[in-house]
Amino acid sequence: MYRDRQRVSAILVLMLNFALIIVMVGWIGAAGVRANQPPTGVDLAGKPVDPLRADAGKPVVLIFVRTDCPISNRYAPTIQRLSTEYAGRAAFWLVYPDKSESSAAIEQHLHAYGYKLPALHDPQHALVKLGQAQVTPEVAVFDAGGQLAYHGRIDNWYLTFGHARPEPTIHELDDALQAVLKGSKPQVATASGVGCYISDLE
Amino acid sequence: MSGSRELTKSLAGFILTVAVALSFLVGGLSAGMIAREQGPKIQCCEQISVCNDRTKHAKPAPNGAIDLSPALQRWVQSEIETSPVGTAEVATQSLKAVRDDNSQIAAVGQKVTFNRDIAPIVFHYCASCHRPGEAGPFPLLTYDEVKKHGRQIEAVTQTRFMPPWLPEPQTLKFADERRLSVEQIALIQKWVDQGMLQGGAADLPPQPQFVKGWQLGKPDLIVKAAKPFQLPASGIDTYWNFILPIPINESRWVKAVEIRPGDKRLVHHANILVDRLQLSRKIETEPGAGFGGMEIRIESELFDPDSHFLFWKPGTVPYVEPDGMALRLDKGTDLVLNTHLQPSGKAELIEPSVGIYFTDKPATEHPMLLQLECDSQLDIPPGDSNFVVHDEFTLPLDADLLAIYPHAHYLGKELEAIATLPDGTRETLIDIKHWDLNWQAVYRYEQPVPLPKGTTISMRYVYDNSDRNVANPNHPPKRVKGGNRSSDEMAHLWLQVLPKNLPDSNRDPRMVLQEALARHHVERDPSDFESHYNLGAMLQAAGDVEGAEAQYQAALQLRPGDAVVNNALGAALLASGDSEEAVAHLSASLKARPDYFDAHYNLGSAMASQGNFSGAAEQFRDAVRLNPQDADAEANLGSALAQMGELKEAKSHFERALQLKPGHALAQENLQLVEHMLAGRQP
Repeated sequence: MYRDRQRVSAILVLMLNFALIIVMVGWIGAAGVRANQPPTGVDLAGKPVDPLRADAGKPVVLIFVRTDCPISNRYAPTIQRLSTEYAGRAAFWLVYPDKSESSAAIEQHLHAYGYKLPALHDPQHALVKLGQAQVTPEVAVFDAGGQLAYHGRIDNWYLTFGHARPEPTIHELDDALQAVLKGSKPQVATASGVGCYISDLE
Repeated sequence: MSGSRELTKSLAGFILTVAVALSFLVGGLSAGMIAREQGPKIQCCEQISVCNDRTKHAKPAPNGAIDLSPALQRWVQSEIETSPVGTAEVATQSLKAVRDDNSQIAAVGQKVTFNRDIAPIVFHYCASCHRPGEAGPFPLLTYDEVKKHGRQIEAVTQTRFMPPWLPEPQTLKFADERRLSVEQIALIQKWVDQGMLQGGAADLPPQPQFVKGWQLGKPDLIVKAAKPFQLPASGIDTYWNFILPIPINESRWVKAVEIRPGDKRLVHHANILVDRLQLSRKIETEPGAGFGGMEIRIESELFDPDSHFLFWKPGTVPYVEPDGMALRLDKGTDLVLNTHLQPSGKAELIEPSVGIYFTDKPATEHPMLLQLECDSQLDIPPGDSNFVVHDEFTLPLDADLLAIYPHAHYLGKELEAIATLPDGTRETLIDIKHWDLNWQAVYRYEQPVPLPKGTTISMRYVYDNSDRNVANPNHPPKRVKGGNRSSDEMAHLWLQVLPKNLPDSNRDPRMVLQEALARHHVERDPSDFESHYNLGAMLQAAGDVEGAEAQYQAALQLRPGDAVVNNALGAALLASGDSEEAVAHLSASLKARPDYFDAHYNLGSAMASQGNFSGAAEQFRDAVRLNPQDADAEANLGSALAQMGELKEAKSHFERALQLKPGHALAQENLQLVEHMLAGRQP
């Protein structure tokens, strides 16, 4: 990191001789945009997308998954079902935080698992940080005002690796969505998920 | 007429020889037997407390202090606190032992690296499943692949979810043991904590090489399921059975079977049952459709306990039977592949295939599957987290123990089996402290375990029917009893043993073992229908017809209309000369199962012995229709027709019998008689 900064400085110094004002304005300007820019994901065409602004006025659900995580894959039918149930009332996004996954691989994954919801790539983990996600699958629920209302597991199906209940008995994501749609806070703000660690992808 | 008398004599003699053919009811595996023994009883709980003394596992002294992370220390401590006396020592000794065995591991103060320290562990314990096309959901063959799941690997090794290996360490070693040492687990954690360093390229061992495709080369015969199974994207685990007909025209010996269960990521385990009479086909809604069900039972009509475990779990390498222990497959045999499937999140097609490797070397040694079980004790109240059952059986002869297969369903918690030798020595045969149905397996011993006559094998299983058991299918918990459905519970212990010949008797040692086991079961549980029947069959084989009839009668008390038992009892009565009662039971058998070849055959024989030859001919006609390849039925049909004076037709059946079995003595003799009689009729 330190060396990179040195190099940037050197370039700036070099450019000063020719167009000091423009370069300085441009540089400062770019920094300013970055500072104010909300975290974004990248859609499968490579276009930056801010999922919180794409559907203004609606609650937003980010669902963090991987193509090679068996637990997040087993959740596919649940995720698809919930996104269908809340269609029109809340915006669901799949978020793939593995920077090594290509758009083609993600598209293939969406197709194989029957996903009908939009997907974003999050190679810089901007959305991971925003949603405070630790593992796949976890979700982040933002209320209509863009505030993080719930983050963590979808439900309590898995207790730990290899130990799943026959079916879940607590449904945090569903409960959180019902709460934010009523304009209230979910009873539970966070619950740890079981799955594949996103930090392994850094 | 002298010819006619001779014919009758031959006919009756022949009938009685064949009519005592044995039948067996076999549950669960390929040819399991159920039996019990009147041996000295030892309280199981006393044995269990001693069998936790596993200090024999200890290896030589340590080479220095071991640097355990706080998390691992906590884990070791909790193991020590929650385990019986002896485990603490084992844990410590295990650390010491591995330190001895791993000279390459990072020295104190040295950073742990993938190439030097972690790759050898991952390659040995993980890569066989975590590679493309195998059961692991992602590959673990390179630094990048392992690093991408580093924390996950740390977590799953600490809880011992991975690599899947249920038994605790014990003196009797299992082949292909896949259990990480405490130090290996610590090393993985340290590697992750230190930032998952790659290390020097020179340290990296070569990647393991795996055989592509069929593991033993191209099989001699490949059989595939007629119809794939469509596994839904979601829902609870599914148990599906595929019937695989074996297209062979004569009996063959099989040295190995490779099970390719379909997509290995979806199949938790698979078992093959040998269905010599194609009885499972009756369960299918249409031919080739397969059928659902967790536990299946297959009847065997012969005393033929040629018993092999044909089992697949992730990472399984096909097992090649030693010379002289081949498995026999006959013409008309079906294999039934029983699979445990777990939905993956997307709809999947399961298309299994099985590769069969033949050998010219016939079996000279015949292992048996012994089944200890406590199903009748299973009546587990809701909320009970510590429900204990046990069973024990004393061997009536010397035997080698080759493999063991403990089995329970979702409420199983601890599964333990020990052997108490005649000299009082106790050996743990298997000790599972955290049962998980998903990782059930057959465990083969590294070396055959000699168990002398008088050894008592004890099983002790503990069940948790409380809410704390996350695998409990019922929330809130419900009362659960023993049974075959996945919602029922089971307490089975299968042992593959090789019984040794008796020093003072010519009796087949398998029959002796089977009789003892069946007796043991009926004594413990007089409502055990199957064991009454099997004991009857063994007594009948040993010449104790009266004893056999009593056991069959006891079985009929439990299931009055049962076709198999009525047939066996009819055959026994016929053998003891009571043809009237025999006819009654054989008719009852056919009422329950009109297409039962054996019962038609035996009823024909019984009627013939009463002089009712037209009735006999009718029964033999049915028998021939049901099994046109049976030379005996053809010969007896010919004999009955000859008695009725239908000499021409009789002749054609004797000829047919001789076609099916050249040199068939009765057919040959009677054919000559009939030809002589026909010649005598010529003008």
